[in-house]
Amino acid sequence: MPVEMKENPSLCYQCAKCSTGCPVADEMDVLPHQIIHLLTLGMEDRALRTKTIWMCAGCYACAVRCPNDIDITSVMDDLRGAAMATGVPCPAPEALAFHQTFLSDVARRGRVHELRMMGEYNLRTKRPFHNAALGPKMWLKGRLHLFPPRAIRGFGKWMKKLWHR
Amino acid sequence: MASVTPRVAFYPGCSLEGSSGSFEASLSEVFRVLGIERNTLKDWTCCGATSAHAVDRRLHLCLNLRNLALAEAQGYQEVLAPCAACYHRLAGANHTLQEDKALLASLNSETGFDYKGGVKVRNVLDYLANVIGVERIAAKVKHPLSGLRTVCYYGCLNTRIPRMASFDTVEYPMSMDRIVRGLGAETVDWSYKTECCGASLFLTAESVSAKLVAKILKDAIAHGAECIVVACPMCQNNLDTKQEEIRDAFKIPRPIPIVFVTQLIGLALGLEAKALKLSQSFVPFEKVLV
Repeated sequence: MPVEMKENPSLCYQCAKCSTGCPVADEMDVLPHQIIHLLTLGMEDRALRTKTIWMCAGCYACAVRCPNDIDITSVMDDLRGAAMATGVPCPAPEALAFHQTFLSDVARRGRVHELRMMGEYNLRTKRPFHNAALGPKMWLKGRLHLFPPRAIRGFGKWMKKLWHR
Repeated sequence: MASVTPRVAFYPGCSLEGSSGSFEASLSEVFRVLGIERNTLKDWTCCGATSAHAVDRRLHLCLNLRNLALAEAQGYQEVLAPCAACYHRLAGANHTLQEDKALLASLNSETGFDYKGGVKVRNVLDYLANVIGVERIAAKVKHPLSGLRTVCYYGCLNTRIPRMASFDTVEYPMSMDRIVRGLGAETVDWSYKTECCGASLFLTAESVSAKLVAKILKDAIAHGAECIVVACPMCQNNLDTKQEEIRDAFKIPRPIPIVFVTQLIGLALGLEAKALKLSQSFVPFEKVLV
């Protein structure tokens, strides 16, 4: 299944500048320039199953440095979205759960309630006491609010039309 | 043609109203002292970072189109987004929508808004250094921060928007350095100015973000910095709140406070630590100052 994307991977001449500057390259199973290579070979299915797309920190170092002006960070975004939509096995379930939690929290009020978001994320990943020490410390510092922000009228309904998952 | 000062909408974003209240408080105090008006965008909603752009490009564009359209309809010419993630999303989406009129038209009809592309998104460093101006801030300094050795940490999102002209040098920005020097403090050249701290992995791959944080802390300390100055709530949170554990795990010799550039400006302008919410940081900064 071809992944819908704005970028053109076939502009790549495999200089690997993206991979050499990537701060999380050592966490990846397939390096960024190899992901682009997979796409030029029409092997999207392989790319969708990599750990790489979930490890990308989204820092845009590759995107602003690519000599062929390929926004590689956005390619990673498109692949992640396609992996999520097609439901291929995800090698980093925490990242998947985080994005689902985050967006469902945004859809709720229009603004993120960090405490609720962190709680739901722990439930989704079945680690109720994950970061359990950090939460209270942040609350004592006045950095976590117990009560959610004011909901923006009509926003939830508006966002549901755009986001179904 | 006489130049008209643009009306600027303040877009706080979720972090400034949540875990990074100290960024919001210090910015608002600094603006008050400098006599700068601040009008918050009415009914603003989340820019979608960290997740919308990461999994659904269309959703990302629509969420940001909504805020841009609100700003335009409320009569603003510019949007000031202090959070680096919000700035990146708003400015990046704005650039895409302004360049692709067909896409803008299609998303307008899908979302029920009527954005014409007439808004500019401002970065907080750009606003402080170039719109307000380093000289105007320096002129108001009551307590010069002489003797304070700092490194300025820009992180990844403040200057890296693909294909869009940046307000500062992408690989080695200097706007924050210029501001901090204007306060009388020293800023040191170092190697991790724009290296990513991995904040987007803060909750999902802790060991990875810890490793990136450790590199940044180590390099700052190796350069003799007494604090790391930041302009991004994600960076502040990531470098500060788990620092103790990270120092232990990576044998980092001493704590190093992570301070918002607006907190540093506030101190130089003579504002109290309390008003700048310095105590919200896990690594105390007050000790460095006495």
